[in-house]
Amino acid sequence: MSEEIQTDAPRFVRPETACSHCGLPVGRHPVGDDPWFCCSSCRAVFAVLQGSGLSDRYYRLRDVGRTSEARPAILNEDPSSLAELGSPLFLERHTRANEDGTRTADLFLDGVHCAACVWLVERLPVEVEGVREARLDLARARLLLTWDPKVVELPRVAQWLGRFGYAAHPGRINGSPAASDEERRLLTRMGVAWALAGNVMLIALAFYSGLADERASGLYLAGRWMSLLLAIPSVVYAGQIFFVRAWRSVRRAARERTIRHLDMDTPIAVGITVGMIDSIHATITGSGEVWFDSLTVLIAALLTARFLQLRSRRLAGDASDRLLSLVPTMAIRLDASGHEERVPCESLAAGDRVLVAPGEIVPADGLVVSGTSRVDQAIVTGESRPVAVEPGSPILAGVTNLTTALIVIVRAVGDDTRVGRLLAWVRDASSRRAPVVQLADRLSGPFVAVVLTLAAGTFVAWRLIDPDVAVAHVVALLVITCPCALGMATPLAMAVAAGRAARAGVFIKSESAIETLEKADAVVLDKTGTLTEGHPAIVRVTGDESVLGAVAALEAGIPHPIARALAAGLADEPMAVEDLYVEGGHGIMGRVDGRSYVIGRPDWVDRTVAPLPVELRTAATEAARAGRTPVAVARDGAAVALLALGDPLRADARRLIGRLADRGVEVYICSGDHPDVVLDVASAVSIAPERALGSIDPEGKKAFVADLQARGRRVVMVGDGVNDTAALSQADVGIAMAGGAHASLVAADVFLTSGGLGGVEMLFSSARHVMGVIRRNLGLSLVYNVAVALLAMAGRVDPLLAAIAMPVSSLAVVLSSIAQRSFVRPRPDAVGPGARTPRSVVLPVP
Amino acid sequence: MNVLYLLVPAAILLAGFGVWAFTWAVRSGQFDDTTTPAIRALIDDPDSEIPSPDSNPRP
Repeated sequence: MSEEIQTDAPRFVRPETACSHCGLPVGRHPVGDDPWFCCSSCRAVFAVLQGSGLSDRYYRLRDVGRTSEARPAILNEDPSSLAELGSPLFLERHTRANEDGTRTADLFLDGVHCAACVWLVERLPVEVEGVREARLDLARARLLLTWDPKVVELPRVAQWLGRFGYAAHPGRINGSPAASDEERRLLTRMGVAWALAGNVMLIALAFYSGLADERASGLYLAGRWMSLLLAIPSVVYAGQIFFVRAWRSVRRAARERTIRHLDMDTPIAVGITVGMIDSIHATITGSGEVWFDSLTVLIAALLTARFLQLRSRRLAGDASDRLLSLVPTMAIRLDASGHEERVPCESLAAGDRVLVAPGEIVPADGLVVSGTSRVDQAIVTGESRPVAVEPGSPILAGVTNLTTALIVIVRAVGDDTRVGRLLAWVRDASSRRAPVVQLADRLSGPFVAVVLTLAAGTFVAWRLIDPDVAVAHVVALLVITCPCALGMATPLAMAVAAGRAARAGVFIKSESAIETLEKADAVVLDKTGTLTEGHPAIVRVTGDESVLGAVAALEAGIPHPIARALAAGLADEPMAVEDLYVEGGHGIMGRVDGRSYVIGRPDWVDRTVAPLPVELRTAATEAARAGRTPVAVARDGAAVALLALGDPLRADARRLIGRLADRGVEVYICSGDHPDVVLDVASAVSIAPERALGSIDPEGKKAFVADLQARGRRVVMVGDGVNDTAALSQADVGIAMAGGAHASLVAADVFLTSGGLGGVEMLFSSARHVMGVIRRNLGLSLVYNVAVALLAMAGRVDPLLAAIAMPVSSLAVVLSSIAQRSFVRPRPDAVGPGARTPRSVVLPVP
Repeated sequence: MNVLYLLVPAAILLAGFGVWAFTWAVRSGQFDDTTTPAIRALIDDPDSEIPSPDSNPRP
């Protein structure tokens, strides 16, 4: 038994062996013994699947139809989320009743990623009595559930899902219906445009293959009129978005007297209008050329690019909706008689008393009136060490209560709280923020000017040569230079990039971020939760490392932040723990496998059990000086090890900063934590001390970013906490690390759901790549436009040439966009999921 | 060739039906989720049709 605990030595299994549940490499600290797992959660889910006889089919399905990267199971039952699912208020607000007495709810389901997940989740009606229907939308991780409330309660269904590592959150999907309506409307327009274009093309084919030679025939005339009738809805219905937007940009340009504000829709609208007027005129008079086929295909192709762009933008919106659904919106209010009542946070008022259970988030700013506990403020202030609170202590909304239940009297709620004020500022700032003019739109002003000049030149020249064809040649020029490929260059490249990014766990909310990232020359990093893991873990072991397994087993059931950090190493068969005794504020003692252990503060262990050897004593002093928490371990009456707990540096922090420095980017650390701790981290990742700032409050961070901007820098801010939100939204590009405060998602332009800091590095290199693709696309389109403009000026463009050249140029742009190699996830290293094995991350002591 | 006067409008009519069907499909949400239905098709397969995990080693 005790030998299995020493998972540090991979004696039986190579680190790259696939985990039997999730398929990721098991790494250096595998769990179990053939089958091997990467973590205890995966093993637990494996056992549940085996136990319910579902495993065979599950693992057969696992490898087919995977839509995103494999990920380890996460077993994390959130009691407040379950309680919210069960509350009458949630049922009333966010679910709907059906005629037959059943109810339907839209839930977010975290952790679904493959065919096996779909199969398992959609087995709900068979496995859980009372569930009528379960439909999973895998790409959006949404579950549409219909159940009979008389037979089964929603939390019970969520628990069943939870056993397999799927966390169900109440879906409060408010913004999405409008977004999906917009998407549906655009899709309809696109479909209609293609249907019309297809029919016009068929008729045009008849013209090109000989019908055009019989100008007088009735069929010829009928064909033209037919094309006209088909082209009108294409322009008026499907193509109206180009006219609306072009008109808007023309008005803006006229108001500000500059062509800079003309966007790509303007030349498109001009081309379509001129082509249509000329073609209608030709149809009515029965002379001249018609361009209906080119125009309808142009509209359909451009709409397709816009649709793909909209769809890819949805990826980020969906993901942020899902993460925001994790924010609890319910609080437990105590009435005068001490009776507990679950109410939505917005109905809290100053003076209310609320109960905050351990593990829950404080819903409002207030004062603690009863209970002594420790709270994790990292998300609000950036402070990495838990803070003790007692009756009389002020407490902020958003901090997590860690150890014991607290009763808080509410002082401020909603937008009046410190967090609320920050968020309100972020909202205002984002609505004030001027949209970034993208590369393609900067081109379109000059593009319009050049095309119109060329058209005028062509008209004058042909007026002198052959007045009869002058108008026809000008129309040909305007139609064929209509920027089809140019208009698709940016949206297509962005759509492909956003899709690839989302698969790698990077969600891009604003597309201008890509362009700004490429030019960024200063990066401001938060410390807690960004450069570091954001929660305490063992960062250094002095003495006998073999005690770790027993320490983890002893601490496993204790709801104290330090105990949780010590128990994080628990990755094996439960060991027999006896005689567990907790000495509040000092430590714990107990027996594991017949040997007695005492774990606690070094001075306490020193005093009560055994004097610490000099080596351990020095380590304890050193740890305390470096801002870490020392913990001593005694076994069988002798002190054998000293563990230093700190906030470990993320495994890839040093590499990221190295890469950024190589690019010539200035890197700053800006943290709310104590300056000494910040300097410590700065030197570990080789950032100059004058660029590492500590004890900075949220407003200070924002001011720091604004100051850099005032000095002409383009600033990228990377953060995760509420204390970073103002700075994230002030920065030219804000990057939020998921797992931190959900508020930061609102403020950021980009957020990362996986990959740690590797995602930031990937974002920087991919931004450069994507911009390269966009430039390549724009280059291809411009080459096409110059070539056809020359042909048109020479009077060599006819409808057939337009019908061939335009799609060919668009196709070139499509292929160039698809061929990009952005957001390639680096191969997982054989060390495996280092984040979950804190022992492998050792912060060097400077 | 006069048959074309009949055939072309008939073709357009058919296309109109297609557009109507497409619009209906979009409105009723058929295009909202384009990933999961493809996977559901696999789920209905009997076990023997699904490659076993052993015969399909992960890269």
